[in-house]
Amino acid sequence: MQTKENTNRHIARRKFLRTCGGIVAGGVIVSLSGVLLKKTVSHDLQTFWQIDPAKCVWCGRCETECVLPVSAVKCMHANKVCGYCDLCGGYYRPNVKDLNTAAENLMCPTGAILRKFVEEPYFEYTIDEELCTGCAKCAKGCNSFGNGSLYMQVNQDLCTNCNECSIEKVCPSGAITRVAQANAYDFKDN
Amino acid sequence: MKKTAGLIPCLLASMAGFAQNRFPKPDFESGYQYPQYVYDVPSEMLWTTVDIFALAVLMGVVAWASLRRRTRLPITIVSIISIAYFGFFRKGCICSIGSVQNVAVALTDSSYAISIPILIFFVLPLVFALLFGRVFCAGVCPFGALQELVNVRNFRIPTALSKVLGMLPWIYLVLALLFAITHSAFIICRFDPFVGIFRLGGTVSMIVFGAILLILAIFTGRPFCRFLCPYGAILSLFSRVAVWNVKIVKKQCINCDLCRHACYVDAIRPPYNNKVKESRSAGVRRILLYLILLPLIMTIAALTLRTGSDLLAGVHKRVQLHEKYHLEGEQAIEVETFIGQGGKIEELTAETAEIQRQFKQYSTVAGALIGLVIGITLINLSLKRSRKNYEIDDANCVSCGRCFAYCPQNNKSSENTQSTK
Ligand code: SF4
Ligand code: SF4
Ligand code: SF4
Ligand code: SF4
Repeated sequence: MQTKENTNRHIARRKFLRTCGGIVAGGVIVSLSGVLLKKTVSHDLQTFWQIDPAKCVWCGRCETECVLPVSAVKCMHANKVCGYCDLCGGYYRPNVKDLNTAAENLMCPTGAILRKFVEEPYFEYTIDEELCTGCAKCAKGCNSFGNGSLYMQVNQDLCTNCNECSIEKVCPSGAITRVAQANAYDFKDN
Repeated sequence: MKKTAGLIPCLLASMAGFAQNRFPKPDFESGYQYPQYVYDVPSEMLWTTVDIFALAVLMGVVAWASLRRRTRLPITIVSIISIAYFGFFRKGCICSIGSVQNVAVALTDSSYAISIPILIFFVLPLVFALLFGRVFCAGVCPFGALQELVNVRNFRIPTALSKVLGMLPWIYLVLALLFAITHSAFIICRFDPFVGIFRLGGTVSMIVFGAILLILAIFTGRPFCRFLCPYGAILSLFSRVAVWNVKIVKKQCINCDLCRHACYVDAIRPPYNNKVKESRSAGVRRILLYLILLPLIMTIAALTLRTGSDLLAGVHKRVQLHEKYHLEGEQAIEVETFIGQGGKIEELTAETAEIQRQFKQYSTVAGALIGLVIGITLINLSLKRSRKNYEIDDANCVSCGRCFAYCPQNNKSSENTQSTK
């Protein structure tokens, strides 16, 4: 009889402790959400990772560090900035002997840059994003020898918007930041 | 002729250095139109709404299945949906586990704004855990669901060992918070073992790690959940005091031991008769010993981590930059860029010192917390509580509902019970 009462007391005490714990836990949730709600971004539901082309130094890490099998970072071309040169610093490797479009002369390892004759002496360059791996070789060439119209951007349709962008962690120039929806792209030709 | 005309300005420009717009904008005579590119900013609105909706509904389904219907089938279906949707379709980002870090940064950094979906992903499973137990883990969390579905065997890990390994999630959590609030890294995201599977890609080491965990999960229940997941650790606190919890059986337990074998996360505790009756003074002495031991362990752990704080600080990007400067000088591309952007090495050195000082403080606290975890685990190991029946350990139960079918008392016809064995 004695032990029975004892167990009952025991159970009652456990129940009481549990209720107290529950109240504390509930309080924690409510106050935590209250504090955090004040710190939410009100205008945007989501932010995006994007490259600031003014900072990017075309190191090539975007190609290899993205978590996706093929990087979400792609080369983009601001045609309105482009000089339409025949000898394009992004299209040809430096010091090419013959200006022909043989693969060994081309900067892009995947042949993602399309060249089209417009009129003397201009050539139009466009990027086939399906082929681009985001290696930034062309952008480096273009920025070193040309107008800098080739530049790197995170393609938001491909990017999975990682909580921590793997490229951002190793980007030497701090070019990758979280931006608001309105700045999801940083176009050079705007 | 035209070719050389193109060549010369190019060469001149390359000598001119970094000036952009080296070539004038061409005047097209042929009526050339610039190509138009359209890049839509994806409307995250739709998908985040679906995410949150799915999160709530799926957890509701699990709560209903585990508490009211008391069957496992809906939970399995939820697991499949979650793997397909949160895992493969949404590619595992953002998840509740990682959201812990965003919350930690938001709480400590006044300039950091947390986005609403992340906040909801953090809070909602906690609310559900407080009401219904770990229904999020049952099948809504894609990681849990993945391990759940591959599991076929249930090799038991000795209870003492699993209690010791159970410290790991807490230690992982403390370290994750440390790195998050110092703006060094989101280690939960970086060392996420399963996200590579969902994305069908990732670094080799992470894929291997994920594969090992999955193979382990075939033979023993949810190794990641039990011994690594930091969010599971937080959830366990809430489910411990949940309003409604999973019950193995509504009728009288007949102590047949079947359910304990069904539970693959080892959350069912067998009856235990504590025969050792402790005298009052012995009890007081024991508690006193714990009270002395706990601060001692905490101090040791705090000092250990404090000594290693410079090592931990090495995870911070600025500190790495500083190290690079000392190892490779200005040749390193990071350093070159830093200087190119107008950065001063002296400022970097000062900044590094500041970060290291910060790390020293925080890692002392983190060490103390880790010591607390170790201490509580040790105390927990030495405590033996009497139980009359098989009972669910609410902290560890993931509401998977495996035990219902195993309990003969749950079956309408008692013939069935024979065949289960
Ligand atoms: S890692 Fe940074 S610097 Fe390198 S290519 Fe990408 S954005 Fe540019
Ligand atoms: S956020 Fe993730 S998917 Fe997007 S660019 Fe960075 S690493 Fe790649
Ligand atoms: S060179 Fe690299 S970045 Fe440029 S288009 Fe080719 S693959 Fe893309
Ligand atoms: S313990 Fe962690 S990984 Fe496992 S189901 Fe729960 S939240 Fe997901």
